[in-house]
Amino acid sequence: VPSRPSPESLLPVKPVELLVLSMLSAGDRHGYGIRQDIVDHTNGALALEAGNLYRTIRRLEHDGLIDETGRRPAADSDDERRRYYRLTPFGRRVLAAELERLRALVRLGEARRVIAPLTA
Amino acid sequence: MTPHRPPPRPRGAVPPSTGERVYRALLRLYPSSFRRRYGDDMMAFYRDRARHAPRTVRARARLWLALAGDVAVNAAAERLAFLVERTRPVPAAGPVSTPREESMSVLIQDVRFALRGMLGRPVFSATILATLALGIGANAAIFIVVNAALLRPLPYSHVEQIVAFVHADPYSQVSEGEFVDYRRGLSAFAGLAAYSTPEATVGAGDESIRAGGARVSSDFFSVLGVVPELGRTFAPDEFLPRSASQVTVISHALWQQQFAGDPRVVGRTVTINGTPVTIIGVMPAGFDFPKVTTGFWTPWRFNPDSLWGRNNHYLRMVGRLAPTATIGAARAQAGTLDARWLKDFPETYGVGKPIVAAITPLGDYVLGASRPYLGALLGAVGFILLIACVNVASLLLVRGEARRKELAIRTALGASRHRVVRQMLTESLLFAIIGSALGIGLAWFGARALVALAPDGLPRLHDVGVDYRVVAFTTAITILTGLLFGLGPAVFGARNDSITALREGGRTSSRGASGVARRVLVVVEVALAVVLLTGAGLLVRSMVKLQAIDLGFSPARVMTMRLTVPPVGYNDTTTDLLFRDVLASVGRVPGVQSVALDGALPISGDDSDWSIMIDGRVIKNIGDSPSAKPEQVTPGYFSTMGIRLVRGRDFAESDRPGAPPVVVINQALANKLWPGVNPIGRTLKMFSDQAPWLTIVGVVGDIRARGFQGAIPETMYFPYAQSAASAYYMPRSMSLVARTALAPADVANAIRAAVHSVQPRMPISEIASMDDVVGQSIAARRFTTVLLVGFAGLALLLAGVGIYGVISYGVSQRTYEIGVRMALGASPGSVLALVMNEGIRMTAVGLVLGLAGAAVVTGFLRSLLVGVGAADAPTFIGVGVVLAAVAVCACAFPARRAIAVSPTEALRND
Repeated sequence: VPSRPSPESLLPVKPVELLVLSMLSAGDRHGYGIRQDIVDHTNGALALEAGNLYRTIRRLEHDGLIDETGRRPAADSDDERRRYYRLTPFGRRVLAAELERLRALVRLGEARRVIAPLTA
Repeated sequence: MTPHRPPPRPRGAVPPSTGERVYRALLRLYPSSFRRRYGDDMMAFYRDRARHAPRTVRARARLWLALAGDVAVNAAAERLAFLVERTRPVPAAGPVSTPREESMSVLIQDVRFALRGMLGRPVFSATILATLALGIGANAAIFIVVNAALLRPLPYSHVEQIVAFVHADPYSQVSEGEFVDYRRGLSAFAGLAAYSTPEATVGAGDESIRAGGARVSSDFFSVLGVVPELGRTFAPDEFLPRSASQVTVISHALWQQQFAGDPRVVGRTVTINGTPVTIIGVMPAGFDFPKVTTGFWTPWRFNPDSLWGRNNHYLRMVGRLAPTATIGAARAQAGTLDARWLKDFPETYGVGKPIVAAITPLGDYVLGASRPYLGALLGAVGFILLIACVNVASLLLVRGEARRKELAIRTALGASRHRVVRQMLTESLLFAIIGSALGIGLAWFGARALVALAPDGLPRLHDVGVDYRVVAFTTAITILTGLLFGLGPAVFGARNDSITALREGGRTSSRGASGVARRVLVVVEVALAVVLLTGAGLLVRSMVKLQAIDLGFSPARVMTMRLTVPPVGYNDTTTDLLFRDVLASVGRVPGVQSVALDGALPISGDDSDWSIMIDGRVIKNIGDSPSAKPEQVTPGYFSTMGIRLVRGRDFAESDRPGAPPVVVINQALANKLWPGVNPIGRTLKMFSDQAPWLTIVGVVGDIRARGFQGAIPETMYFPYAQSAASAYYMPRSMSLVARTALAPADVANAIRAAVHSVQPRMPISEIASMDDVVGQSIAARRFTTVLLVGFAGLALLLAGVGIYGVISYGVSQRTYEIGVRMALGASPGSVLALVMNEGIRMTAVGLVLGLAGAAVVTGFLRSLLVGVGAADAPTFIGVGVVLAAVAVCACAFPARRAIAVSPTEALRND
């Protein structure tokens, strides 16, 4: 059995990959669904096209961060069947590690007064 | 593992739309494994995307642009990743190497192999490299120039907020009162400054020169957002009307020329028009606003309580928009203000002459004129590069055919198709990289040569250089060319059916897919050349038409120079005497036939417009009064310049102060004010109570004082000696014009000496023959036309070579067939027809496509055309004839070789 690399060895995650992983953390999505989530999250600033998205998916699949959960019809469209993707447990650990890394960076920025600290 | 077969479409699904079919075709650009894995998901993605996009044409266009861009980038990236993956060998026992090392070693192998292949065919490789070097070099050279002139941002902070602000004709400039009102009334501006551009005599030490200056209002430097390189700019109190301090800021160029870059120049004194002035600052290099020639800036001390007349429009403005304001808002506010003035100052702005603010981004204002020329050149070199790519691709295709057997053997020995494609692509990219390295070398010299040859009118060429934009552009076109000319041949090469190739023994026919591809390439090449030729043809025709326009005066053998009276010690009377002595002295120079003075030379001189009154007509408002361009001249001016005297007389020496004041007008003014009536003996005067009435004593022919394309200004000429009384003032700076028997340049030095023999301290500037002055006005056009003709010639040559190559190769491949035909009794004529036919057919198709394309593309040239339409029949026919002639020549050589084929030899060789 090939041993998995540690999540830290995959850091930093590319911005697009981070977005895809984050969207999948909410549950399974098909390709267009991931795109729409990203559009909503970024207020339309980032709208992936198919090639960009599926190449990202290919890389994430290849590294074992996501896998597919089979085909099923999408709720909001015709009865066409689509592949859905989910975060693997390993992918969740990578995502968490990346977010921890970013949190440390945010703390640094706050400490140095680049951004105002969030007062909860 | 999911099955790789796409599932059948759901029952009852509608047939795929056109868009789906197009998108599916685009997906074929991805590697097949990627397509198998994600293809139908991407199709579903596309359907969602198309369903959710608005159904407008704009939205559709944007969608497809996004899709095409996405496919282009990602398919290329995925293919590259795939190739790297594919060539990775199966890991075996032994030392494990990382994938990166593996792909590097394959790459090195490929490069080495490609280099060996190049060196093995030196002529072939040299042809390709030369073609590419020319194509890439020409592009990079033009791009370097375009980048320097147009793309590099102007060196001002937040230049997008800065606008130039003047008035539309007939006012074109701004008066003091208007400037004050604008500055107070427009909230869209964070700052608004006015300036005028007087010339002045600048003296440092014993030497004095004529230099361009700018008198600027208080916010000038802060509006532009520039800080001096040395010292400071003006303090607020230095703008006060009563300020005693005389200060100036000088340009980097003046600092270098007159003070040899002395770092202690701040605090030193120069004289400007005789007044001692302290230098307080030096502007950085590259800061040349408002003019390339501006050498110094002085504070403009205007008194808001005693402004000059509102109808004296002599200022221009530059403004910085408020951070939240748009240029539209600024225009709207200015428009409102202008409309109110029309009511508030009816005596100034006549109903027929509304005042209209003209606000443009500073970049457009400074660079607008050169933009279409540089755009045309950039377009033309783009075509050259495409043609070069097509040529190289067709050479590589021919080469690919010749290598079929080699490739077949390599495939048969187990090389994968991808390995073969990769190898050929490596070769193409290597060609592109070496070609572009050579090209950049060419471009370096080319750009320098272009700048040296470029007319002075092109702004911002003083520091042409290579920056990141040039590097990015060249890298991009290198990769693009490599892929463009390499991909086709590589795919054809890999599609090679090894069994057939081996069976044919490497002999090929030109009927195969690659034969068709080569013919298509030649057609494309011909079409591209036709477009370029048509563009060049149209510009040449414009040039010819332009120069055929009668200027109304004869510039040949006229020498001109600007003379300025020394600033101290001359009043109107002594100034007049000085100039009379100068004219007499110059008139005695051998080779000078006649000599005269003129306040503003045609074409290069300033253009002003003065309001006048005419006898017998009552005009209340200056806005309703007629106006004309004033021109102070000495007797003999009209004959020296070759301007026709239509009626009456020229000025005479007797038209002096004290004698009855006289004026000469041109035909345009005569026709406007006295249509159908003889104006001799009528009177006119300046729009001023003190001005005397002037009697019209002559009418002269119109001249194109604003250049070949400019409108003919209505003009009035005053005798210089009377100008102080009759035309407000007597100018202290005049242009000397001398008609010479010899070439003007030969007498220039003698004329200078004659001037200085009268007054050694008189500054002389702008020494040029009138022909050069005229030529300068169309220099940008001539420059562009010459370059474009050169490019078109290059395109024609490349197209000819392309046709020749294909036909020639066809003949060599068909030697056997031709031999058989001849053996069976075919006449040389029929063999000739066989060969020529092919070439003519390709040319004809290319010609038709090219002319159709030209009809579209030349529309972009419309702003540069004079006297010819974009669809100019003579040009199109001429291009057709030239191209047909080249094509016939290109076919004739191979055809002759075909006739010379000896049947016995051809058959024996096989």
